[in-house]
Amino acid sequence: MGLSGRARSALIIGGQGIRARKLRTLLSMVSLFLGVLAVVAVQAGAEIAGRAVLADVEITQGKDGTRQWYLPSHANTVPVVLETLRGRTDAIASTGTQAIIGEPDVAPINPGGTPIEHAGMGGGSVYCDSNGNCFGPNGRPDQQQPPGQAVELLLSGLTGDIRPFRPFRLDSGQWLDFSGAPSLSPRIVLNREAAKAFRQYQVPAEMRLDGGSANPTPRIIGVIHDGGYSPAAYVRADELLNWLPTSGLGNSQYGPGMQIMSAPSASDLEQTLRARLAARGVPTDQIFIQTINAKEAYRDELRVMQLIFLGLAGLVLLIGVAGILNVGLATVGERIEEFALRRAVGTPRLLLAGIVLTETLLTGLFTAAAAIGAGIVGLKLADPLLGGRITQLQGVEFPWQAGAAGVIAGLVAGILGGLIPALRAARIPIATVMRA
Amino acid sequence: MTTLVQLTGIRKTLGGQGAPRTILAGVDLTVNAGESVAILGRSGSGKSTLLSLIGLFDRADGGEYLLGGRDITRVSERRAARLRSDEFGFIFQRFFLLKQLTAAQNVAMALVNGQGWLPRRKRRARVMAALEQVGIAHLARHKPPRLSGGEQQRVAIARALVRGPRLLLADEPTGALDTETGNLVVGALHSATERGCGLILVTHDREHAARMGRTLRLTEGTLTPDPLLTEGAFQSARPTEGALQPINGERG
Repeated sequence: MGLSGRARSALIIGGQGIRARKLRTLLSMVSLFLGVLAVVAVQAGAEIAGRAVLADVEITQGKDGTRQWYLPSHANTVPVVLETLRGRTDAIASTGTQAIIGEPDVAPINPGGTPIEHAGMGGGSVYCDSNGNCFGPNGRPDQQQPPGQAVELLLSGLTGDIRPFRPFRLDSGQWLDFSGAPSLSPRIVLNREAAKAFRQYQVPAEMRLDGGSANPTPRIIGVIHDGGYSPAAYVRADELLNWLPTSGLGNSQYGPGMQIMSAPSASDLEQTLRARLAARGVPTDQIFIQTINAKEAYRDELRVMQLIFLGLAGLVLLIGVAGILNVGLATVGERIEEFALRRAVGTPRLLLAGIVLTETLLTGLFTAAAAIGAGIVGLKLADPLLGGRITQLQGVEFPWQAGAAGVIAGLVAGILGGLIPALRAARIPIATVMRA
Repeated sequence: MTTLVQLTGIRKTLGGQGAPRTILAGVDLTVNAGESVAILGRSGSGKSTLLSLIGLFDRADGGEYLLGGRDITRVSERRAARLRSDEFGFIFQRFFLLKQLTAAQNVAMALVNGQGWLPRRKRRARVMAALEQVGIAHLARHKPPRLSGGEQQRVAIARALVRGPRLLLADEPTGALDTETGNLVVGALHSATERGCGLILVTHDREHAARMGRTLRLTEGTLTPDPLLTEGAFQSARPTEGALQPINGERG
């Protein structure tokens, strides 16, 4: 689609006007530059921060729209859930179990499954007996084990592939294969924190399970990024059940017990499961279901902050607009004869206004290009200078949204700054000027 | 002969800080296609006002204005812009060239005015033809500060001619020029009329007026035939420089 004759005329004449008044155009750009740069910087900052925050939200909390169920700890909860979910791909259940992998009969280096950086610095869960006596994560002092080469972690037993709901990123090896018979040697996939612990401590592989009757020898088959900061591992629930009674599943000190993640389309599951749990005596009033909306919630928070900063940038931009307006009015005052002459040769008033607006819009666009260029260069410089301290800046690309915001800011400033001069140019009387 | 402009009882009163002043008090004028008309008159007599009404820079307070038989007395500004672009060519005493543009770009200004669009090549051809017509095609790339007064006025004439107007309106085009250069400029205007273009020349210079087909005098807000210059008096004999001196007090 081509430009109309008037638009082409406005571009040609506007371009001539800018070429004839380079210094004034430059001064307008200087007055506008900081404002547009502020908008670009705020938008770029918001996008980069947003990406950093939102990148792990789906991994840690689940995809928006996923239905998340918290089921009460009850002897019949696990068997009913396992039976109901068997063969379904639109829902999975997970359980949290405490596990210690390493030398037998030693205290783990990270009691309570704390992050490996905090190993030896205390922490972990506190237990209280029926008499009100509370103890550290290693239990009663008379039952405490000597410290050794073992890592404590949260072992999640899964009934199916969790990745449709929490898109873990595979770092190495492979993810769990849910087809085929369960193995007696549980296959586990570590998260990054657990992998770090096992790289640091070359521990013999015996896995002690909280509530387990015997200690199996696990097989580590892969490492994934699950967004967690504490050591964790994932295993097929049926392989776990080879070593744990069903009552042991979902009774962990780490979390609320058994959870289910289901697709929004699995609406029938809710009724079926509620009915079956109720029939087996599980208190259904203790079932909590929520729809994950984490990304949107974060986005809303970021948007509020972004709007506040954009408001401040807008104020700076207004100062630039005042600069363009000032230069524009002075220029129109000097060009009265030119505009009167153009009207005399048949240029319509609207096109005269268009010419002035084209000049200010082009000025705004040039300024936006300069501000975007400065933003790109600034980001390139920030990576080597600040990337060590601010990891979010490492290898980050200039977000196109910041470029678009800069262009919009430049165009808006061009329109606001050029409107009054444009109207004044359109109202110049020919007869008065040409007779002077 | 086709009637191009027909003014009947045109009136114009100018307001201001003082009392309103009637400039034109019922002007009647008919200009035929290809005809050249000179309008003489003292300073402030309303010659330029009349020209600005004919060129649709301004509107009359009363009377009737027909252009090519169509009533345009109360034409809209949008239509007026179109008519100024397509029907009229304007030449002013002060040339009104944009000094940052070349001679060719100044001429092209009349083509790049939002009234239709010509591709660059056709535009350039039209501009060069207009410059050729006034004999300064070789100065196309020169900017006004590098041109003499006569050359600048010829650029202005080329600008007026480039769209092929039906009527040229020249408001004291030789006022800022010496006699010899003025003669050249009037000659250029006169040659345009030989191509069928009408011409209304407002001037103080009787010698230049004498070269027009008809000479009128604006007095007391009305037009009357000039008593000293009768129609066609100078058509057979081209005046020589100084043959007719401007009347004292009418210049400037």
